[in-house]
Amino acid sequence: MNTVQFKDISISFGSCSVLENVSLNIKSNSVHCILGENGAGKSSLMKVLFGMYQPDSGEFFINGKIVHFSSPLDSINMKIGMVHQHFMLISDFTVLENVILGNEITDGLKINFSGIRSILSDIINKYNLGLDLDSKISDLSISSQQKVEILKLLFRDSEILIFDEPTAVLSPVEVKEFFKIIEEFKRNKKTIILITHKLNEVKLIADRVTVLRKGRVVYEEDITDCNIDLEKLALAIVGESRVSIAVDKSSENLTNEIVVRLNNIDLYKNSVKILDKMNLSLRKGEVLGICGVEGNGQNEIAEIITGLEKNFEGEYKNKNVNVSMVPDDRISKGMISQFNVGENIYLKNGKKFIASSELLDDFSDKTITEYDVRLTNNKASLGSLSGGNQQKVIIAREISAGNEVLIFSHPTRGVDINATAFIHSKIIEERNKNRAVLLISSDLDELISLSDRLCVLFKGKIIRTFESDELSSYKSDNKVSLTPDIEIKKEKDNQLFELLGKLMIGMAD
Amino acid sequence: MNLKTKINLISVSVSLVITLLIFSLIILLIGQNPAGILSIILNDVFATGYGMGQTLFKATSLIFCACGLAICFHVALFNIGAEGQLNAGSFVIALVAVYFADLPFPIVFLFCLVSGFIVSGIFGLIPAYIKIKKDVSEVITTIMFNFIILALVNFFLLDFFAVKSTMRTEKISENFMLTKLSDFMPFFSGSSLNVSFILALAVAVISYILIYKTKFGYELRAVGFNKTASKFIGLNVNKITLIAFFAGAGLTSLSGINFIFGYKGFYEMGFSSNIGFTAIAVALLAKNNPIGIIFSSLLFSILEYGGLSVNQQVPKEIMLVVQGVIILAILSVDKIVNNYFERRL
Repeated sequence: MNTVQFKDISISFGSCSVLENVSLNIKSNSVHCILGENGAGKSSLMKVLFGMYQPDSGEFFINGKIVHFSSPLDSINMKIGMVHQHFMLISDFTVLENVILGNEITDGLKINFSGIRSILSDIINKYNLGLDLDSKISDLSISSQQKVEILKLLFRDSEILIFDEPTAVLSPVEVKEFFKIIEEFKRNKKTIILITHKLNEVKLIADRVTVLRKGRVVYEEDITDCNIDLEKLALAIVGESRVSIAVDKSSENLTNEIVVRLNNIDLYKNSVKILDKMNLSLRKGEVLGICGVEGNGQNEIAEIITGLEKNFEGEYKNKNVNVSMVPDDRISKGMISQFNVGENIYLKNGKKFIASSELLDDFSDKTITEYDVRLTNNKASLGSLSGGNQQKVIIAREISAGNEVLIFSHPTRGVDINATAFIHSKIIEERNKNRAVLLISSDLDELISLSDRLCVLFKGKIIRTFESDELSSYKSDNKVSLTPDIEIKKEKDNQLFELLGKLMIGMAD
Repeated sequence: MNLKTKINLISVSVSLVITLLIFSLIILLIGQNPAGILSIILNDVFATGYGMGQTLFKATSLIFCACGLAICFHVALFNIGAEGQLNAGSFVIALVAVYFADLPFPIVFLFCLVSGFIVSGIFGLIPAYIKIKKDVSEVITTIMFNFIILALVNFFLLDFFAVKSTMRTEKISENFMLTKLSDFMPFFSGSSLNVSFILALAVAVISYILIYKTKFGYELRAVGFNKTASKFIGLNVNKITLIAFFAGAGLTSLSGINFIFGYKGFYEMGFSSNIGFTAIAVALLAKNNPIGIIFSSLLFSILEYGGLSVNQQVPKEIMLVVQGVIILAILSVDKIVNNYFERRL
């Protein structure tokens, strides 16, 4: 039984076609994963289902009946719910207030709070969400905020649940928790649509997988007993142009000269201890990885080194070097969405006072060719590009500033496989130019394959540092695979993986 | 013509049509003939050189003031204090011109420009500084500074500088008065239109270049679009905000040049007749684009002058209503037109 049926859906914006004759069946009571590179059309397809886009041609059916959605409201009325990549929560409201907003159960003019409370606590217990209805959104972690979004959908009795890259913001432990919730959904006869980039998640959770590429369905497969050829899947995602990039990390120009040193740093924010006697030194010609569950002080370390955070105690030594940074959240911290590529680069790296159009074109052409930024129109604002392309532009801007120290914070989050490989090669290229690179990430594959040294950060403290020889004793080779997900890990890699996983949640050593 | 200009033109024309309809409706309700009223306005403004000159004269002050505000608005801070800022600057301009009457004109004029700019600028700087240091809403502080400045200017004017039993300063030397445009374009004869208008056009063009074609302009807009990202990109957000407010508030003082050097020859209490507030609407209407400001200033001056000319038939306040309707129409139509194109493209 198909819950959702898309038939020949096409959408184009101007001359740019986003979806071309997409036909897709989603079975009821299953987990359907939709994969694809950035800009492949995954989000657009979901926006059709959620009533945010109206298809130019084609039709779709819900439970066998043809439907036309003109706004998300129509879709919500058909018991479809969506958790967006960026949460739609009001941060000053409590969990309860956010959940009932727009869906208040009332006795006359009064909101029936006690009734709602009991309904909600039932849902929370049933799905083991572990939320306190009275805590303020701004006090909650990202993963809890996601659960609030889920609670919202359940309160509205949604039967079809759409998740747009739900695990991108979660740590490995939180991902496991999230999957448990998904399984619970299945047990309760709900239909789940999952947009993701991560192949191993597909293997773990999906009943069926569809791959989109350039607005077309290119691959579909049912998965039984976690049995799927990930290699084939990866090929379908990247297409024929797949090239294996092996990064050359052999050029040994490590001078070991320390350029940045943090000594006994203490940092408080709203009287919460964020950094606790933290020590760290960053050397030229190395990639220093920082591994840890998000919110353990990673952002603060980066902000101290860039000079944005000044209210700390302890010693920060900087050998008179300039610092570039690729921030963790590209939309709110990384770029001016309204500016185009050239303007974003000029803003940081332009030396001339007059911004002639030749100068801007120069910046934009250089970036677009050198960093393989894909856009339909060179003057398109950065906000209209896909995440991977935005990230490439930000990285281009920070690298071409030519600074001695580079900080990459979650550089490949929400970025497709090709762009990820490209970004990895750029990071190594900078390291090989004898620059000091600090890599903050929650992607263990990325950290292990790129880092020369690796620190584990837990509750504002570096609790373990893997020096380069120790790290290489774990590593099987120095190659960065194009698709880290499908690399068959050697026994030793797994050991390191497990060890890091335990360290990150403060369970080992 | 790029798409953006096209969209803007479409939304402006649609709004003007809507405004015209509402305007006609109101006139009908009053019991007059809309076509008749409209023809009186158009006749008065466009048929005579005097009418056109007066309209352009009014537009001159608005252009100066709105360009200054546009610079402030581009850092996404709302400066409601132009009325006070321009009065402070204009008062000083008049005083400087009166007390240095013996010096040659170019020196005095330059001195007036600089001192007026600095005084107005400082009164823009203070709210911006409080905003940065203590995060006090600039809307509140700039409004409050209007009261403070006007009271201070009144105090100094009436107690020290005013000509007896008037509310104005002494007249500046006749030699200092700017050339009227009617001197070489007799068409405008009788009107107060003076070379300040040309200065205003120049200021608009320079502001345009500053905002859209220079590094500082890009920084300014970046801060306005996304303050957090600007910090991460490495811009000195506070410095940029302070400079924008100083320069923006400073520019408003030029309205005083138009009035003092171009028209009356003295500073007078209430001379500004709320152009500091009208300029907010003018700048918003032009989406803070100085070239657009030239046209929106013209539109507002036409409405104001036109209101005077139909005062016998309908209350001149009708034109305030029209101003309000235009702003509402443009803001809402703009949204609709933009959404339409966004969806189609």
